[in-house]
Amino acid sequence: MSAPIQPASDPPPSLGPREWRLRLDPLLLLATLGLVACSLIAIRGATADDWDGDPLYYVKRQAVYIGVGFVLMYGLSRLDYSRLRELRYPIYGLLIFGNLFVLAIAPETRGTRAWLELPGFNLQYSEIGKMLLAVALAGFLVERMREMGRQTTARVMLLGLLPTMIVLAQSDLGSATVYVVGTLAILFVAGAPWRHFAGLAALFAVAVAFVLVAAPRLGVEVLKPYQVERLTSFMHPSENANDAGYQQEQARIAIGSGEKTGRGVDGATQTKLDFLPEHHTDFIYAVIGETYGFAGCALVLSLYALLIWRALHILTIAKNLFGALIAGCIAMMLLYQLFVNIGMNVGIMPITGVTAPLLSFGGSSMLSTFLALGLLHSINAQARDTASSKGRTAIFQ
Amino acid sequence: MPSNRVEDRLRPITPQLAWRVAVLGGIAFVLFGIVFFRLWYLQVLTGDTARVAASQNGRRTERIEAPRGDIVDRHANQLVRTKKAAVVQLVPSSLPERVLEDADNYRKALGEAESQRLAYERQYEALSRQLKDDGRKSTKAEERERRRLRKLGSTARKVPIPPIPTDEPGLTTLYRRISETIDIRPKTIHERVIRSIADTPYSNVTVRTDVPLAQFNYMRERPEYFKGVVVTKRYIREYPEGKLAAQLFGTVSEIGTEQMKLRRYKDVAQGTRIGQTGLEYSYDEYLRGRDGYTRLVVDAHGSRDDERKVSVVEPKQGQRLRLTIDMDLQRTGEQALAQAIQNSEYETRAGAFVAMDPRNGEVLAMGSAPSFDANWFAKPFTQQRYEYLTSNETDAPLLNRATESAYPSASTFKPVTALAALEEGLITPSRKINDPGHWEYGGREYQNAKEAVFGSINVGEALKVSSDIFFFKLGAQANDKGPIIQKWAERLGYGRKTGIDLPNEAAGLVPDSKWRNEAYAEYERCVEKNGLELRTTAALFECGGIERTWTGGDNVNLAVGQGDLQATPLQVAVAYAAFANGGTIVRPHLGKAVENANGVPLQEFRPKAKRKVKIPSRDRQVILEGLRSAAQGEGGTSADVWQGWPMDEFPVYGKTGTAERQPNPDQAWYACFVKDKGRPIVVVVTVEKGGFGAATAAPAARMMLSEWFDVSDREFHAGTSVTR
Repeated sequence: MSAPIQPASDPPPSLGPREWRLRLDPLLLLATLGLVACSLIAIRGATADDWDGDPLYYVKRQAVYIGVGFVLMYGLSRLDYSRLRELRYPIYGLLIFGNLFVLAIAPETRGTRAWLELPGFNLQYSEIGKMLLAVALAGFLVERMREMGRQTTARVMLLGLLPTMIVLAQSDLGSATVYVVGTLAILFVAGAPWRHFAGLAALFAVAVAFVLVAAPRLGVEVLKPYQVERLTSFMHPSENANDAGYQQEQARIAIGSGEKTGRGVDGATQTKLDFLPEHHTDFIYAVIGETYGFAGCALVLSLYALLIWRALHILTIAKNLFGALIAGCIAMMLLYQLFVNIGMNVGIMPITGVTAPLLSFGGSSMLSTFLALGLLHSINAQARDTASSKGRTAIFQ
Repeated sequence: MPSNRVEDRLRPITPQLAWRVAVLGGIAFVLFGIVFFRLWYLQVLTGDTARVAASQNGRRTERIEAPRGDIVDRHANQLVRTKKAAVVQLVPSSLPERVLEDADNYRKALGEAESQRLAYERQYEALSRQLKDDGRKSTKAEERERRRLRKLGSTARKVPIPPIPTDEPGLTTLYRRISETIDIRPKTIHERVIRSIADTPYSNVTVRTDVPLAQFNYMRERPEYFKGVVVTKRYIREYPEGKLAAQLFGTVSEIGTEQMKLRRYKDVAQGTRIGQTGLEYSYDEYLRGRDGYTRLVVDAHGSRDDERKVSVVEPKQGQRLRLTIDMDLQRTGEQALAQAIQNSEYETRAGAFVAMDPRNGEVLAMGSAPSFDANWFAKPFTQQRYEYLTSNETDAPLLNRATESAYPSASTFKPVTALAALEEGLITPSRKINDPGHWEYGGREYQNAKEAVFGSINVGEALKVSSDIFFFKLGAQANDKGPIIQKWAERLGYGRKTGIDLPNEAAGLVPDSKWRNEAYAEYERCVEKNGLELRTTAALFECGGIERTWTGGDNVNLAVGQGDLQATPLQVAVAYAAFANGGTIVRPHLGKAVENANGVPLQEFRPKAKRKVKIPSRDRQVILEGLRSAAQGEGGTSADVWQGWPMDEFPVYGKTGTAERQPNPDQAWYACFVKDKGRPIVVVVTVEKGGFGAATAAPAARMMLSEWFDVSDREFHAGTSVTR
């Protein structure tokens, strides 16, 4: 996907040793390295018995994704993201048609049509789509910045909802909500008036009422029954001991049983005996909770906090609005994903299949997150370049 | 380097943007805060409960059933043993909701039918009692009504088993598959399902026991084909002697929900099979054994891994119960009873016998006819079989008449009256009373059987010839002095349970004025309360048959063991044992000892005698002489039965009895004992509708004594005495 933006005619600017130091934000890098390390350690403990003959099967795969991710991130960080603005139409096209393509040909796996079967790797295109959406919408908005009226808000909203609908049609509820959050974040950072958000909130309430109440009565199935069950079961966890409620109850037990310092890899029976479902993907945070206790959970939480803080910081120093919008969008998408995922692990959010960025096992999510990080590093590097040449310092340094 | 395009130009961060970034930062801060405190709550504040929950998760205990202990006779011959058999069961929760509802409705309907039956039974008993009290011949209409009530009261209205639901294809298919595999009709499977769930809703339904190995393996290997079917090996009871002593052992089945609450079963886990009736019930704590357990850890998918087996507690087989029963004597007793029944001049099936060691109450043999094959207990009961075992129409083979049925014991009661009269000073041993063959008392005419006339006789002679008039007169005299016969009868064990180690023992009844007058007062209250009239049929059905107060005639009847007296054959045996042993009221028992599987005794049962009754030896000698001459002397009521018996070696003391049971034919009784030094024994035999005691009951007793003392003549010697 990075192919169209390789600026063959426009080589990256030459780098002096001094500038090299500034290329990657060190704190953001630290958070990233810390989280992927936690991911590998947790996956190693959780999946030792899962693949016959190779206790490190998932660890190895995850390491490969991380490696590829780092390369992508680094490559992206050395590009000037501002060039992508001109490519907003092709990028948006990639977003829409890519997802439509997936919807058309992807086989149904576990109730969804979101996975593209590639040799040796299943790609969840909607994950990649998150970054395409961020870049494309930011591009559109920058064009219309001078007239930040109702029309602009509505138009951007529609541009964001179109891919959301397609992803929803793939039954990828988690990604669909991320798209919505990203769109709202961009509008917010761009300065859409508060009353627009109030209006959107009202619209949202109507839509929810329609999807959950009216549509089923009319025989139209917008959400599959299991999705509704997942969304509502967290409100009464012990009532339904099966499926969604059961999973959440087991996750809560797993996390709680870790107590302050955890039960260790061998003692983590919830993980080992499979009571904890999806222990290397959706519920990886519960694995960390059971194995390493409050200490482990708090460490991961701190790394995430560091990540979000750096993203917001980069937003403030961005050299242009385009960068600020992308950074804001990415920061909120990441915040939303980590909160929903951890929230469902600790039993305060519904199960939606949203992964924990940099933590959950999975190539698509990993690549998407590293693309986001690459963009952030690029925005950061460009800002510092500009600042050093113009002598401006960011306010929120 | 910087681009010239407008949007790439540097712009200072606006206050609006700064404000919005601050909002985003605030949102992030709040969200992180929420997660942080939630973690704190889950892991630090309530972590210990979660850890307990986690350690419970996946821990599973599987029971290993312990085999029940065997039951053997006094010489260690096996009577009941345990074998492992392949059993096919259905899990109720896997059946359609509809079936469970049907079973529940069936249970309710059964309950209604049974209470209806009980009502008819009460009416029947009330009418019978009234007819007896009236002492007149009943009219045709009364007879018809009596027969009708007897029929209605004997078997509960049949409740049809609900049909197999037709709209449950899964169920029909499952039944068909089971049916084809283990050769049992779908209707029968369904019947067992309904009956079992009605009985014990949460226990597995046993469809068939003793499944051949090939079918067992076939079903075992195809769990997906037989959904909800459990194929296991379980222990089942086996009775190598079949019919022998079938009523004594009782049944074994899973503990019921109500039973779980009893103190007696406080250590018993759900699903354990316990003795429900008979000896299995009485000695359950010894026979039951202790189930073993495998504690293991299973993963979320329920698959087990033997490496994760936490601990194994081996099951412990129940202890072996050794009975006081002598198998050979038991067998002879049953054959003798069968022969006595066959020799009765009336159509009959029912009777009972008891043989006991008079020194300590060890029951040497105890039987009841009709009987059944005890191996039926090991299989799931069908409706017909259950009805056959319990219905009055088949004389309820399940009933142990030796302890559960109380009858008037007729002339076998005369020694008790004699003892009371001697002790209370009504007579002396030599005091003669005239027996002219008939006697008038209280406006009623009394007479000996077949109008025999015995003239002036003393108490010993009266026992020998079983004079009714002699004892009638004693009864009338005793009535003036109060309940003295009753006092001695109760001392000898009549009217209350003997305390034998079997459940459901009947207490019997020794009637006295207090009992009858209270019962009559109760009757009056009941009649008044229901707005009925005294001594009408309606009152009879509603309030029972005690329609008058006590009279001297009641005591006259009691003196010869008739009237309201009710005694079980076992009670008669206990009383005669007291005559034989000099006054000790033994506590009869069937359990001799519990032992381990190799026969090493662990605990012996020697229940203490209930009490000792002081009988002056002079009076005892008089009664023993009466009983001896009745069996051995010229003209004794059972003398001809004992012709050819080695009296010098084994002197027999015995008394016949012939109970009038209007409108049924007479019931035959014989009670006797031999005071042998080494092998003393008391034997009581009764045959319902057996006619005269000497004709059926006494010869059966002789056959048992022949077996016991190894006398070569084992024939059935019917006596000819026509006395009561």
